[in-house]
Amino acid sequence: MEKYFNAKYIWESFPLLIPYIKVTFLVAGLSVLFGTLLGFILAAMKLGNSKIAQIIANGYTTALRCTPSIVLLFLVYYGIPKIAENFGVNLSDIDKIIFIVITFSLQFAAAMSEVIRSAYQSIDRGQFEAAVSVGLSNAQAYRRIIFPQAFVVALPNFGNSLLELIKEGSLAYTIGLIDVMGKASLIIDGRFNAHALETYLALSIIYWVISIAIEQLFLKLEKVFSKGKQVINPT
Amino acid sequence: MLEIKNIHKSFGKNEILKGVDLRIDKGDVVVILGPSGSGKTTLLRCINFLEKADQGHAIFGAADVNLKTASKKQIHDIRQKVAFVFQNYNLFNNKTALENVTEGLIIGRRVPKAEAIEIGKKALDKVGLSEKYHSYPIELSGGQQQRVGIARAVALNPDIILFDEPTSALDPELVGEVLTVMKNIAKEGTTMLVVTHEMSFAKDVANRVVFMDGGVIVEEGSPKEIFTNPKEERTQQFLRRVLPEDYIFYI
Amino acid sequence: MSEGLNYSFLVKTFFTALSGVPTALIITIVALFIALPLGFLLALTRINRIPVLHRFAQVYVSFVRGTPVIVQIFIIYSSVPLVLTSIFKKFHIETNVYDINPIWYAFIVFSLNTTAILIEVFRSAISTVSKGQLEAAYSVGLTNVQAFRRIIIPQTLVVALPNICTATVNLIKATSLGYAMSLQEITLRAKVAANVGYNYVEAYIDIFLVYLILCSLVEYLFKIYEKRLRKYKAANA
Repeated sequence: MEKYFNAKYIWESFPLLIPYIKVTFLVAGLSVLFGTLLGFILAAMKLGNSKIAQIIANGYTTALRCTPSIVLLFLVYYGIPKIAENFGVNLSDIDKIIFIVITFSLQFAAAMSEVIRSAYQSIDRGQFEAAVSVGLSNAQAYRRIIFPQAFVVALPNFGNSLLELIKEGSLAYTIGLIDVMGKASLIIDGRFNAHALETYLALSIIYWVISIAIEQLFLKLEKVFSKGKQVINPT
Repeated sequence: MLEIKNIHKSFGKNEILKGVDLRIDKGDVVVILGPSGSGKTTLLRCINFLEKADQGHAIFGAADVNLKTASKKQIHDIRQKVAFVFQNYNLFNNKTALENVTEGLIIGRRVPKAEAIEIGKKALDKVGLSEKYHSYPIELSGGQQQRVGIARAVALNPDIILFDEPTSALDPELVGEVLTVMKNIAKEGTTMLVVTHEMSFAKDVANRVVFMDGGVIVEEGSPKEIFTNPKEERTQQFLRRVLPEDYIFYI
Repeated sequence: MSEGLNYSFLVKTFFTALSGVPTALIITIVALFIALPLGFLLALTRINRIPVLHRFAQVYVSFVRGTPVIVQIFIIYSSVPLVLTSIFKKFHIETNVYDINPIWYAFIVFSLNTTAILIEVFRSAISTVSKGQLEAAYSVGLTNVQAFRRIIIPQTLVVALPNICTATVNLIKATSLGYAMSLQEITLRAKVAANVGYNYVEAYIDIFLVYLILCSLVEYLFKIYEKRLRKYKAANA
C-alpha cells in the first residue's frame, strides 16, 4: 500500500497550491461584484409591476438554476465567440478568465435575485407605512428603514451563495484556468497521475478551511448587523 | 381645521367607505366607534394617504386637496401635519427608541440633529420612557413600544394625531398605561382622531363620538348624547353588544 | 468560418444527450434512496446530541459542504480503487478493480454528498416542528416509532420539501461531473458526439436543453407533491 499512498505528498502539496488561492478569490470576487449588480436588476424586475419583466427575470433564474456549471461554462466559452463570429468579431485572443467571470456572474446573479427578492419581501409592510407617515420620502424610507433590515435577512443566504460560488468556481480548471484547482490538476498530470489522492486531499483541506473561514466571517457579520433583531440559534 | 368631504373607497368589489363627511376642529378629541368592517380604519388610512381614496376632498386649513388626484407634494405636506399611531406600533426595528422618535424630524423635516434629540427625549419623557432612550423595540414590551409610537407622533408636533386601534394588540394589563398617555396628551389640547374599542376612553376623554357602520357615519354627538341617548337603532344595537348588560339608555 | 448552427447535428445530438438521462436518474434515485433515511437519522443525532455520532455528523457535514463536488469525486475515484485492490488481494478475489463500472463510484460519492446536504435540511426542518408534538404523541400512548412515523415525519416533510427539491435538482446537475469518472451520462455522451465534428456549441445547447427539461420536470413534480401535502396540513389546521 506504501507504493500507492504516501502521506508526505499531502504536506508537499500545500506550498505548491496555496499561491494559487488568490486566483480563485479573484474570479470569485469579480463574479460576486457583477453578479450582485445583475441580481439587483433582476430582483427589481421580479418585484416590479411589469408582467413581461417578471417573466423574463423568472425565466432567467430558472434557466440558470437548472444548468450545471460546466455546461454553462462551455456554452459561454464556445458559444459567445461563435455568436461574435457571426457578426465578424474575432474573440479568440480574449483571456479565458473573462469568460469564466461572465459565466459565474450570470450564475451568481440568478441566485442573488432570489436572495434579494425574498429578503425584501420578508420585511413587514408596516415598516414602510410608518416611515412615510413620519414624513420620509419613499426613497428615504427604503434607504434608511427597509434596506438595513433586508440586508440582515439576506446576509446568511448571501454567505451560502458565496460559498457555492467558490466551490462551483473550481470547475473553471476544465477550460484551463490555473487557480488552486487548476494547479492541483497540473501537479497530478505532471506526476502521471501517481499520488493523485494525496494532492486532492490537500486541495480539499484548503477548500474546507476557506469555507469554515467564510462561514465564521458571516456569523460574525450577522451578529454585528442584527442589533435590533432576534437571532435564532440552531444547535 | 380638518374637514373630510364625501370620501369613497372600495377594495375590489367591496365598497368600504360609502360617502363619509367628517369635521374636526382644533382641540377636538374625536372617537370613532363601530363594528369591524365598518370602515373606521380605512377612513383613517385614507386621511394620511396610506390608502388612496376613490373619491373625496380633504380641506386642511386653507388647502383643499382632492383625495384621489393628490400630488406627491400635497401628500407630503399633509403628512407633515398629520401623525399616525398604528395598531401594531410599527416601530423601526433597526433603530432605538430615541432614533425612532427623531427619524421623522431629522430626515423628514430637516431639523438639526441636536435639536431633534432634545425634542425626542422630551417626547419619550412625556410617555414615561426616560429610561429607554437607547433600547431597541425588541427589548420593549408591547405597551412600551406603543408608547414610543405615540412619542414618535407627538414629537412631530402635528396638527392632528390619528390613532388606529392603538390598544387592540396589547395584553389587557398593558392597555392602561397607553390609555393614560393618550389621556394626558388630550388634556394638553392635542387634536386627536381615535378609532378604538376602549369605551372608557370614549366616555371620559372624547369630546365627540362618531358611530360608523357599513361605510357611513350613522350618528355623532357628545359622549353623553351617544352613550346615554343614542337616537339610531343601529347605534343602540352596537352599544348593547359592547357595553355591560345593565347599562340603561334613556330614550 | 462563419456558419450558422448545424441544425441536423443539433437535433441528432439532442437524442444522444437524452440517452444519458437514465444514468443520471438512476444515480439520483439511488442517492436519494440512501440519503433520505440516513440524512434524517443523522439529523436526529445532531438534534439530540447523541455522543460521538453528533460530532461525527457535524464534521462530516462541514467537510462535504465545504469542498467542491468535483474534488469529492476525485477523492473517491482515486481512493476507493486503492482500498478495493488491497481488499481483493487479501481475500484473493480475482476481479480487476478497473473493470468495475464507474456507476458504483457515482453511487458512493453522490450518496455521501446528498446525505450531508439532507442532514442540514432535516435539522432545520425538524426544529420547526414543536417539541409539544412529540410530548403529546407520547401522552396518548404512541411509541417512539409511531410518533415519528405518524406525527413528526409528515410535518417535517412539508417544511423540508422545497429544500429536498433543491437538493435533488443540484444532484441531477452534479451528475454532469460524472465525466471525471468516465461515466456515460448526459454531458459525456453529447461531448463525445461533438468531438467528432467540433460541433461543440450545438452539443452544449442540447445538453443545456436536456438539463433544463429534466430539472423543470423535477421541480414541477415536487410542487404538485407539496400542494398535496399542504392540503392535508390546511385541512388539519
